[in-house]
Amino acid sequence: MTTGSAERAARAVYTEATAELARCVLDALRGAGDTAPLARFTEAATDPKAALAAVRVLGADVLAPYALTGGTPHPRDLTVIAQATAVFPAPVLTAPPPEGPLENWAIAWRDWATGRLIAGLGDGAADDTPQPPAAPVLTDTADWPRWSAVCARLATLALPGVTGPVPAVVRRHPVPLARGTTRALLRRDYPTAARLARWLAAAHRDGVPLPLDPAALTEHIALHAAGEPRLALDLAVARLLLGRTA
Amino acid sequence: MTTAVTPIAHQVATRAFGWLLAHRDHGALPEGTTADLGDPNSVYKPLGEAALAGSLVLRESAAGSESMRAARELLDFGWRQLREGDLLYERQLRHSLLTDPLEMYAHFVRAGYRHPGMDALLRHNAALRSVRAAEVVPNRRLAIANAARLAGLDYGFDWAALTRATWLGATPEPWAIDWMTAYSMTHTVFHLTDWGARPEGLPAEIASYLTTWLPVWTDIWREVAQWDLVAELMIVGSCLPDPVCDPADWAALAAVQHPDGLMPRDGEPVSEDPARRFADHQHTAVVAAVAGSIAVSRTLT
Repeated sequence: MTTGSAERAARAVYTEATAELARCVLDALRGAGDTAPLARFTEAATDPKAALAAVRVLGADVLAPYALTGGTPHPRDLTVIAQATAVFPAPVLTAPPPEGPLENWAIAWRDWATGRLIAGLGDGAADDTPQPPAAPVLTDTADWPRWSAVCARLATLALPGVTGPVPAVVRRHPVPLARGTTRALLRRDYPTAARLARWLAAAHRDGVPLPLDPAALTEHIALHAAGEPRLALDLAVARLLLGRTA
Repeated sequence: MTTAVTPIAHQVATRAFGWLLAHRDHGALPEGTTADLGDPNSVYKPLGEAALAGSLVLRESAAGSESMRAARELLDFGWRQLREGDLLYERQLRHSLLTDPLEMYAHFVRAGYRHPGMDALLRHNAALRSVRAAEVVPNRRLAIANAARLAGLDYGFDWAALTRATWLGATPEPWAIDWMTAYSMTHTVFHLTDWGARPEGLPAEIASYLTTWLPVWTDIWREVAQWDLVAELMIVGSCLPDPVCDPADWAALAAVQHPDGLMPRDGEPVSEDPARRFADHQHTAVVAAVAGSIAVSRTLT
């Protein structure tokens, strides 16, 4: 096996693990599954490292069932999240974009959201995740295609219980957000459209007037692309935020 | 709206006009053409489009003397092709329910041309229930309404009802649009505002809707190099009460225009054959000339 094909094979294993975990979280959102789904998922995994990578990839979304439908995460699940972070630590954030890489900054925000959710969901432990710095890419909405692409990368922050500057900024800019979602849908970029639909749903839940109907939009994306587990998870979150069934 | 757009819009329009004028003979009606027009879309319709562009340049009179002269020449050429309006008259007389003679005549009327026989015929037709009730899709009915208004005819149209009947009038989901509907939407705006002359003709709700969504549509069709539609969308932006005019869109349009003024309709290769080039890209030149002229006018006022 060449290096290239070995890498491709490893990537496929990680992708499948992420899809499998997304299905587990989706089940939990729909009220089915284990009381400690993350622990069960990692214990049952043939490749435990890939399973932990999947926990890192989904980030705060592994806590979406508790954030959206109540309950508290099982201590064993919190241990899994801590393990995943230890095995796959966040890259060092040297500077926010544009000086530093956008993805490192986005990871810092996603980890911050996970920390906030764990603290808020009754873990009792103090949240020591530092709040990442603000960045012009988050506040400059004039370039709405770029701004909405940043919002899509931060879509895991569109969960009840995650507050702070990111949801606050998104809430203040419904028009660029709706434009970005419409653009993604017209470009048939359904994963981006679904992530942005989450933000629209969150804004709607907070009573922000929107220039389009988030429910019709969400169902339209679902009709085109709900077969992909991560996308389906984003849509389920959007539906619950809209007060509908996941 | 930014004045940075003015010079680049002026350049695009002037070059497009120069190209239309230089190649106008490709748009001449074949010898012996009668009012029945076996293929009205081949030459006759483009003549009307060129007349529209010319009439708008003269109306706006902001395009500079070179374009004004080109516009008058183009209109004179078209009027001669139509035998000083006789062809329109004969076609309208024979086919009472066709609307294209009226619509084409309106462009010439806008630029000061009249045909007394045509005026009398149109007044007669406008009183016929049959003519008024001829079945057309809603944005096309607005075209008739605007042409009738220009020609001074009373069709008794209820503009608000006509507007509500269009796709745009429904302020629809902006993500549920397609290429053809986008064209229809632009024409709803053109007729309601008479190509930017009366921005107040747009209901406030629709103006607000367009201000929100026009940048998205322009972006996605720009990405796939649908220059003809992009330029039409840019006209819509200039027709708004508070114009939407993105310098980046103008820079993109100017960048794809050929040195001789040809404006490619899309991203496909452009033919070397002069007749083919004219047939394929004549419409986009008209749209670019109109877009540039209106943008210049509206960025200056």
